[in-house]
Amino acid sequence: MVKKTLEDIKNTLQDVDASEISYAERGYHLAIEAQKGSLVSVVEFFADKGFYLADLCCVDYVEYLELVYLFNNFKELCRAKVTLKVEPDKPVAPTISHIYTMAHWYEREIHEFFGVYFEGHQKLTYLFLHNGIDCYPLRKNRVPVTDDDKKLLDSFKPEEEEDAFFINLGPQHPSTHGVLRVVLKMDGEYILSAEPVLGYLHRMHEKMAENRSYQQFLPNPARMDYPGALLFNLAHVAAVEKLCGIEVPERAQYIRTITCELNRISSHLLWIGAFLGDLGGLTPFLYAFDDRENILDILESATGSRLTYCYFRFGGLYNDIDDNFIDMTKKFIKRMHERLGMYEKLITKNVIFINRVRGIGILEQSEVPKYGCSGPIIRSTGMPFDIRKVEPYAAYDKIDFEIPTGKTGDNMDRYMVRMKEMEISLNIVEKAIEKLPSGPFNAEKVPKKLKPPKGDVYHAVESTRGETGVYIVSDESDKPYRMRWRVPSFSNLMTFPALAQRTLLADAIATMGSFDLVIPEIDR
Amino acid sequence: MGKGGFYLETKDPIIKFAVVEKILNLARANSLWPMTFGLACCAIEMMSTAMARFDIDRFGAGIFRASPRQSDLMIVSGTVTKKMAPTLVTLYEQMPSPKWVIAMGNCAISGGPFAFEGQYNVVEGVDLLVPVDVYIPGCPPRPEGLLEGLMKLEEKITGTRRFPTVEQKW
Repeated sequence: MVKKTLEDIKNTLQDVDASEISYAERGYHLAIEAQKGSLVSVVEFFADKGFYLADLCCVDYVEYLELVYLFNNFKELCRAKVTLKVEPDKPVAPTISHIYTMAHWYEREIHEFFGVYFEGHQKLTYLFLHNGIDCYPLRKNRVPVTDDDKKLLDSFKPEEEEDAFFINLGPQHPSTHGVLRVVLKMDGEYILSAEPVLGYLHRMHEKMAENRSYQQFLPNPARMDYPGALLFNLAHVAAVEKLCGIEVPERAQYIRTITCELNRISSHLLWIGAFLGDLGGLTPFLYAFDDRENILDILESATGSRLTYCYFRFGGLYNDIDDNFIDMTKKFIKRMHERLGMYEKLITKNVIFINRVRGIGILEQSEVPKYGCSGPIIRSTGMPFDIRKVEPYAAYDKIDFEIPTGKTGDNMDRYMVRMKEMEISLNIVEKAIEKLPSGPFNAEKVPKKLKPPKGDVYHAVESTRGETGVYIVSDESDKPYRMRWRVPSFSNLMTFPALAQRTLLADAIATMGSFDLVIPEIDR
Repeated sequence: MGKGGFYLETKDPIIKFAVVEKILNLARANSLWPMTFGLACCAIEMMSTAMARFDIDRFGAGIFRASPRQSDLMIVSGTVTKKMAPTLVTLYEQMPSPKWVIAMGNCAISGGPFAFEGQYNVVEGVDLLVPVDVYIPGCPPRPEGLLEGLMKLEEKITGTRRFPTVEQKW
């Protein structure tokens, strides 16, 4: 796949510089340097081949700004990095939002954080930042906001139109799972258009990463995605390990797998409670939290905290697990298998629930690459794409497991996929405990102060919501030069305006609930 | 904020009935209705507190209301950003008096880990926006912490503590 794509690029595209890169070191296969004139044709090439836009970010090298487009393919792993250099004084780049819908938001994000202007973008307004911002936050030098951009700052004012009224769903609304705001343009009970407004919980993680050493940043990922804290923790740790070339002992890999899967179950349990709560049934909430507390007990015994775990270290773990942990886990697996049967009786076969979710919020499989969404959302459309399988990390390559898929991609399928995933996670934990090797749980000779070699790295893990990727640029100092988080909920949420269009308000709530949104993760 | 409802409403009334007031406060302290206002990580712990194991209902504060008009306790559970600040103040002003605020977690107390040099988006402490009655430190605080905070608030309202305190042994 990689060789063929490289050949195709060389044959079809002129004026681009493409080369193959060591995947083991960098985390991507192809590096392509595009020029302003050729960028759109390069992106069109990838769109034709069925690639999705995994991420679009910007790095400020002071002399120039570099836009980084990361592509990947759902069918076969082939990560490609396309870069475009733009001048720092008045940065202008061509838009790709007409090719990839998701680029709408990525470009808006880059515009507000770096001041890059995208030619041809239809609505280049502020997405995250508040009105009082006076400079571009992620630029290395202080660059004040230009007068043109200042006009865009307070731009979110829906226009008055006849026969339409606006509803603010959020920022304080129980079913937005936090502080998401969606402005709905309504026609009676039907939604004409939905426009998410983000940034109510933007906590500057990417800015913080540039101010802290790699170790000091360790607690942050857990605060980005608190229901699945360990998985984000792992994404950060594994990316740095890849960058520094640290080998992790096998026991640590297995323990990482076990704890991550337990965390995945607890996150899905939280989601079940919240989802059913959105639909008006509060009873499953109580049951789900009962099970969740059991997992928290197990994880607390190993990690020391209940929610925002910071358990993994570069080259290993914070501490080893003991027999008590294994006993508790085994007990929990037995209990959870029984409880899953109960959930099936309580929820899955409930007529009211089925009628609320079946056939609503259908995401077509052909639409998926345009948005670049991932996780249970795309698996529900029948696409067996799981980073744990295609790009194995930790000990997932040594454990056999299946990937659950849906058929239609509606809310019911998303629910079923997650329920099935919990069962599979239990099996993974069971198998991993059986195979758990003895030995050290920390790599030897990991320096206290990490100074990775110059270069960049991309590493993705399958978090509870989809592909979580970390893109790190290192300049040989002990702090990352740039750390970019590719978060799944961001691209998953992008599908919401399309799915909510012309549906009933109550159905849109069901769709939003089925996405399993975590707002700090979207806002970062 | 200066013109908000808070200042006017909490002024002492002209005529005070001490006994009636005492009884009312006892009733208020033991049936606090918190607002469903989850901001970030701490909100999950707040939810855990409301669920079966920790059961906030034991202290009469289990009726989470989605509307500020029906609630008298705001638990600020998470980071308040500058974009969120006006909303938070509006919500506070919409609550009927008497009302109380609990700042749950380090972010609500002081900005927590997100108060660093050069930060541009976080309000460093919710007490800069609204008056806070009880502070609960932790990142996030455990549910037991929130329950203790609730008892502290009860103590503040009634003047007496209903539940015994645990003596520190270290």
